[in-house]
Amino acid sequence: MAETSEAKPSPSAPGGDAGGEEEKRDERMLECNICLDTARDAVVSMCGHLFCWPCLHQWLETRPSRQVCPVCKAAISRDKVIPLYGRGNTKQEDPRNKVPPRPAGQRTEPENNSGFPGFSFGEGFHMSFGIGAFPFGVFTSTFNFGDPRPSAAPRGTAQYEEEQFLSKIFLWVAILFVLWLIFA
Amino acid sequence: MSPSERRLQKELMSLMKEPPPGVTVDGDQASQNLTLWTIHMEGVPGTLYEGEKFELQFKFTNKYPFDSPEVTFIGNNIPVHPHVYSNGHICLSILTDDWSPALSVQSVCLSIVSMLSSCKEKKRPPDNSFYVKTCNKNPKKTKWWYHDDSV
Repeated sequence: MAETSEAKPSPSAPGGDAGGEEEKRDERMLECNICLDTARDAVVSMCGHLFCWPCLHQWLETRPSRQVCPVCKAAISRDKVIPLYGRGNTKQEDPRNKVPPRPAGQRTEPENNSGFPGFSFGEGFHMSFGIGAFPFGVFTSTFNFGDPRPSAAPRGTAQYEEEQFLSKIFLWVAILFVLWLIFA
Repeated sequence: MSPSERRLQKELMSLMKEPPPGVTVDGDQASQNLTLWTIHMEGVPGTLYEGEKFELQFKFTNKYPFDSPEVTFIGNNIPVHPHVYSNGHICLSILTDDWSPALSVQSVCLSIVSMLSSCKEKKRPPDNSFYVKTCNKNPKKTKWWYHDDSV
C-alpha cells in the first residue's frame, strides 16, 4: 500500500522531484535494520537481512548464548553472514576482519569474595589454596590460568571460541572440586 | 550525537510523520529529552477499550536499541487488562526476553494496541495486589514469566 503511494510523485512536487523520491526509497532499502542509517561495512544474513557489521556484532555480543537475527529470529552467527561489496569500494576488505568498535568493558567484581583470601579473580584467574591440616597438606597447589600463551588463537576465530569454552569448563571443574573439598 | 540518540531522533521523526492509528507522541517533550518519551494512545473502536485514553512512558538507556526500552502505562487511566498491573507495568515478552534491536517504538506501540484490542474480558492480573506491593519500580527488573499467549 505504501509502495504505490510512494511510487507516484505527489501532486505538489513537480516531475523532477520523482527521481529524488526514488533515490530516497532506494536508500531506505539499504538501511541497516539496527541503526536505521545506510548500512556501512554492510553484511547480509542467510535470511536476507541487512546490517552494518559493527551493529550486528554488538548485538551478537549482547546475547552470545542466543544469537538470532534481530528481524526474523533465525539462527545467525559470525560465519553465517555475507559481506557486501559495492562498486565504489576499492579495497575490498572483509568487514568482519576489521575490529568493530566494541562496547566498553562492563565487568563487575564477583560478590562472593569473602572468606577466601587465596582466591583472586583479577587479571586472568589465579587461585591458590592450602589447608593446613595434616592429611590435606598435600593438596596445596596453585592454578594459574592467566598466563598469556604464545599459541593462543586470534580473537574471533572458531578456535578462539572453543578455547574459551574449554577454559570455562576447566574453571568450573576446578571450582566444583574446591567446593567438594570444602563440603565433602 | 551518540548512536542511540541518532536512532531515537530518526524514530521520533518517523513516528511524528506517520504514527500508527490512535497513537500520538509528545514530540516537544521527546525532542527535549530523547531518553524519555510520552505517548498517547486511544482505545481502538470496536474493542473493550473504545473511547478510553491511555498514556505510555518510554525510557531509553544509552545502550538502546541493544537494550530494550522501559515501557509503562502512566497517568490516571491504566487499562484494566490481564497483562497490565495497576501500577502500569506491562507483562509483554518483547519488552524483555524477546526484545530485538530491529523492533522500534512504533512496533512496541502496535504490539500494545493489539494486546489491548484482543482482550475478551477486562480484569487485572490474578497476582496484581501482591505484585504491585513487592515489585521494583523498574519493570525490567521483574523476572517475567510469559505463559499466556492468548491475549
